[in-house]
Amino acid sequence: MRTRPIVDPAPPAWTFPGCEVTALDSGLRLVLVDLPGQHVLSIRTIVPMNLVDEPADTEGIFTVMSRVLDEGTASHSPTEFAELVERAGIALGAGVSDGGLSVDMDVPSGYAAAALDLLTELLSEPVFPGAEVRRAVAARLTEIDHADAHASSRAAKEFLATAVDPSHRASRPTGGERAGVRAVTSDALRREHARRVGPRGATVVIAGHLAGTDVASLASRALQRWRADGQVSPTPWRPPPSAPTAGRIVLVDRPGSVQAEIHVGWPGPDRHVDGGWAPYPAAAWLLAGSPGARVDAVLREEKGYTYGIRGAYRSRRRGGHVVVAGAVRGDVAVESLGLLHGILDRSADGFTDAEVASAVDFLSRTAPGRYATADTVADEVAALALHDLPWDFTSAYLAAVTRLDAEAVSAAHRRWLAPGMAARTSIVVGDAADLEPALRRRAQEAATRLDVVRSRPA
Amino acid sequence: MPLDYPIVEHTLPNGLKVVVSPDHTIPVVTVNLWVGVGSRHEEPGHTGFAHLFEHLMFQGSAQVAKGEHFESLLAVGGRLNATTWFDRTNYFETVPTPALELALWLEADRHGHLLAAVNQTNLDNQRDVVKEEKRERYDNAPYGTALIDIYATLFPSGHPYHHPTIGSMDDLDAASLDDVHAFFRRYYGADNTVMALVGDVDPEQALGLVERHFADLRPLGEPPRPPGPQLDPLTEPATLVREDTVPNDRVHLAWRLPVDRARDHDAAALALDAVAGLSMSPATVDLVRQRQSVTHLHSSVLALVDGASIGLVVLDVAPGEDPVAVEDQFCAVLEAFLQAGPGEALLEAVRAQSERSWLSALAAGDERADLIAQSTLLHGDPALVNTRVDSLRGVSADEITQAARRWLQPGSRASVTYRRTEDR
Repeated sequence: MRTRPIVDPAPPAWTFPGCEVTALDSGLRLVLVDLPGQHVLSIRTIVPMNLVDEPADTEGIFTVMSRVLDEGTASHSPTEFAELVERAGIALGAGVSDGGLSVDMDVPSGYAAAALDLLTELLSEPVFPGAEVRRAVAARLTEIDHADAHASSRAAKEFLATAVDPSHRASRPTGGERAGVRAVTSDALRREHARRVGPRGATVVIAGHLAGTDVASLASRALQRWRADGQVSPTPWRPPPSAPTAGRIVLVDRPGSVQAEIHVGWPGPDRHVDGGWAPYPAAAWLLAGSPGARVDAVLREEKGYTYGIRGAYRSRRRGGHVVVAGAVRGDVAVESLGLLHGILDRSADGFTDAEVASAVDFLSRTAPGRYATADTVADEVAALALHDLPWDFTSAYLAAVTRLDAEAVSAAHRRWLAPGMAARTSIVVGDAADLEPALRRRAQEAATRLDVVRSRPA
Repeated sequence: MPLDYPIVEHTLPNGLKVVVSPDHTIPVVTVNLWVGVGSRHEEPGHTGFAHLFEHLMFQGSAQVAKGEHFESLLAVGGRLNATTWFDRTNYFETVPTPALELALWLEADRHGHLLAAVNQTNLDNQRDVVKEEKRERYDNAPYGTALIDIYATLFPSGHPYHHPTIGSMDDLDAASLDDVHAFFRRYYGADNTVMALVGDVDPEQALGLVERHFADLRPLGEPPRPPGPQLDPLTEPATLVREDTVPNDRVHLAWRLPVDRARDHDAAALALDAVAGLSMSPATVDLVRQRQSVTHLHSSVLALVDGASIGLVVLDVAPGEDPVAVEDQFCAVLEAFLQAGPGEALLEAVRAQSERSWLSALAAGDERADLIAQSTLLHGDPALVNTRVDSLRGVSADEITQAARRWLQPGSRASVTYRRTEDR
């Protein structure tokens, strides 16, 4: 056996890859990131769309739209389009989040031209055939059933419904609920597409090995064809306001559960926050990110109550939440909830120098490996567009992380930490027959209210 | 596209195989160890042991305290984990180049000197954690136990793939400290381990460091049992139906396929991909697009070494549709495919998709290290990463059709259906 080697503490000579940004006259921004050796190009398209702009009677329509953009265009039938995509080796996906529409393509570099043509086609001339729309609606309805059946997604949904004021769209699932989704039609999709999906304010990111191919010209030539005369600007984003029900404990009855899913959260900052974003991922890592983090040190490694509890500062485009969530053994669920809130209460005392040093080293030194491939770099740059952040945000953030100390991380965490159990929303998804009496006592002790949700949501 | 990742091989006198693939694009290196033990090696009454053992590997070793392996690598900018599968257990970390020796020291300490630190408290704690892992991923998740049912339906009792890696909780409850010691001595040895190093390293220097820290690891001497013979396809459908509180009826169909690297493995895998893996696949067009009897269709192949691989198709049955009829519809599409084989466009798409998927996997140094360790441990072929894309491209339409007719007959399927009961 040898003795433990000493690690040279010098930080790596590495910076986040640079972005070359050009603007097309349509208002589209084209961002190129050259990554030598990455022969599968990652193309990410972001169209800022605010969910509050969905018509109230068809909430979920943006998500349904994202899934039928490639299901029939003015030039190709759904199966013809699928064939063109798949024969070019393209992996295609699309979805909607709080910041807008994302269309993702990964493609071998030799097929870049084909990919950019197909991308332009699905963005600019989808026709939303009735049969495909009905299929996408049915698929989304199934997806809602699945989300309600999984304890973790059920808890996340109940958290937003309890913590966010119902006047704000963020209190309901991004993909919509059953009634709104059922009301989506081809006509409604055409109308929304014409108003929302245009090049103005949109961004196309292309990351990968760019030398030897004039990707910039290929992209501008193809994407110049994307026009949308009727495009209207999205409503400005605002942080989701808290609901009167925030701070309650909500027990969602899931009979027969062999575990309880716990989901605790409170309002948090977004990445535009005063003082900078750098302290927040560090605080989350120390609280419930690292395998040795404070929550798992007790609930997993000391008690053996869980496979793992994870936490994060979740930034939206504007506003956010701090969330700590995971599954615990059913018969210790109420005890676990108490232990978790105790750890959160004590986190107000701050983090130690040693803790913060380890978080700083982890977050800053893993960056070269985390951003080693075209897809991870493209995803990060696309996230900047989705969150309305400058192109140098990531490198500035990583530099700021290296300057963090215990004082800075503790103060930032304290600034947002909701004081006490009754100030944090707690969701428990499990078997109410086992959990309700003890949970009711716990709610009384904490001077908050327990609500029990018994039926499946409509 | 010819690939030319550099491959430097070396075997230590104790039998540890090391493969180094330098890549100086970014200042990190991945260390990836594959140990030739998985759930396929577990004996009746001792299932779940390989996986429980993986957990214990993070609980300290001769010179390393509980949790210190994770903490000390995370704190220098490492990302790390371990996984257990039928055929192997792997341990891996990606670290900044200056931390390579620390990673090697930590791995050598647990791979060589684990038992000094294993105690009853650690065993009891990690047994509880594994039970929560099973509840979370299997018992409390809709369809979470479907794969367990599929393995048990597709393979006869006693076959190495009849039981899942998570194992039986009764077996875990019965595990003693003596069992843990015996397991380590039986399976964890230098000559049953492969190490891949991919990244910002000089091969000679890296091999010097590996020699320094791993030369004193003991070899097993006696290798674990070799894989058994190839299983034939099922001779008639095997069926299991469960009533469960799931959101919709779901049909899982599975086939025994040729073992990984067998001559017609790739052809059979490409056939399944062609028939059900793409948007333009005949099963997708017929069931999902036209009939709309299925809301979601998924296919995959688990490439394995011990007597069979597994081809899997999952069909989410649309509301109001009969799962038996849906299964019949799928079998009719499959039957037609066996007759006609893939057309030119479908063949081109399947090749293009598999090629892109491989290139994407190889794009990341950590995944490349995993693939190198895999091909070295299971197939004795460290350079597979350079030849894989070309060999996939070389599979002909005729080979795909022939392999499909041999391995993917509707009558050879195992069928596991989860039927929705109305109320939870």
